Amino acid sequence: MSDQWTDRLSEYLDDELPPDERSALEQHLRHCAACGAVLADLKRIVTRARGLEDRPPERDLWPGIAARIGAGSGETQAIDLAAARRRWSFSLPQLIAAVIALMAASGGAAWLLHPAAQSSVAVRDTIPTTPVVAGGNLSARNAGDRSRIAGQSYAAAVADLERVLTQGRGRLDTTTVRVIERNLATIDSAIAQARRALAADSANVYLNSHLAETMQRKLDLLRQAAALVSSVS
Amino acid sequence: MTPPGTGVTTLEHQATGRTDSDAVDATLAASGDAHAFERLYRAHLGRISSLVRRMLGDEDPDDVIQDVFVRAWQKLGTFRGESAFGTWLHRLAVNVILGRRETLGIRRQRHLDGDAALETVPSRRTTPEISMDFETAMERLPDGARQVFVLHDVEGYRHEEIAEMLGLATGTSKSQLHRARMALRRHLER
Repeated sequence: MSDQWTDRLSEYLDDELPPDERSALEQHLRHCAACGAVLADLKRIVTRARGLEDRPPERDLWPGIAARIGAGSGETQAIDLAAARRRWSFSLPQLIAAVIALMAASGGAAWLLHPAAQSSVAVRDTIPTTPVVAGGNLSARNAGDRSRIAGQSYAAAVADLERVLTQGRGRLDTTTVRVIERNLATIDSAIAQARRALAADSANVYLNSHLAETMQRKLDLLRQAAALVSSVS
Repeated sequence: MTPPGTGVTTLEHQATGRTDSDAVDATLAASGDAHAFERLYRAHLGRISSLVRRMLGDEDPDDVIQDVFVRAWQKLGTFRGESAFGTWLHRLAVNVILGRRETLGIRRQRHLDGDAALETVPSRRTTPEISMDFETAMERLPDGARQVFVLHDVEGYRHEEIAEMLGLATGTSKSQLHRARMALRRHLER
């Protein structure tokens, strides 16, 4: 089956016909069942093509790639990121606990015991398994202890990474150092701003999450910077 | 192992909140971290492998897949984070594949091939797995039609992009696509 419109059906399907030709083709489709059937088949083909699943190769190609990029001999140059992540990994609940601890230091810990915060649906949805913030299973004292520990761990991780960066900054080029310092300043400013806002509204769930995320961002940036230092050592 | 770049741009993204794991790993890989690059390899292997297999047809894809990732390692310093890492890698893979096709002597002339090749495709009745049958039918398309079909209908490129990549007129890309779809239709309706 073929007529003057058959070869235009793909363009019609992809919405690439000029308006006048599109109208004419639609007019044709109203009474040409054959073209309608072809068009339906083409739609099915496009749908199937878009739904194809990706498939990895049958054998692992990484050893060959690693050999070609020299990864085997250079492994000792790369930072053990997995170990670093294990050491400096914080979940959002842990970070919020750290936020609470840091807020406590500045007199804003009332949020921890605030009924509105403890019953907040938003908090439960975000961190469903976190008794420190959302649940009523732990005593306030235990929650406070955990918050303090998380706060101390976070501060220690930041201090540790900042020390690596300070010691190694001379090995980075000046552009990189400038970018890192500018970004750290931006993040520190955001952290300070969030803390000021929380001092006025300690039960604000959004502000607490925002502060936790910003603190995580600082940690990530410091971790990347430390990795850069390590890679050029 | 020579570090291909510093990854400064990605650090800039970090401060603006674009903290996707690919960008972090691309930064680390650009500074010479092979572990980070292996994570990128494993995250994107399936898509790149499928692209290579579908674009090359009968050719053994493993060498080309390796070439893609080796080239990506060499070019990491040029990744500016203007698009997602996966998008950047995909475009680089297309270039590697097209380069390999040139090496193999599969020239533009093949875009003018007849579509009789699909007549040799076994019908759906001989292969119970329908999606595999569809893949097989794609493999048997004439080279030019297959390239355009994979890039447009599977990978989502626009005709203008395909025409630029393959060195064709946009109209040729459109006609090849229609040709491929009609050939697949004839096969699948058997």
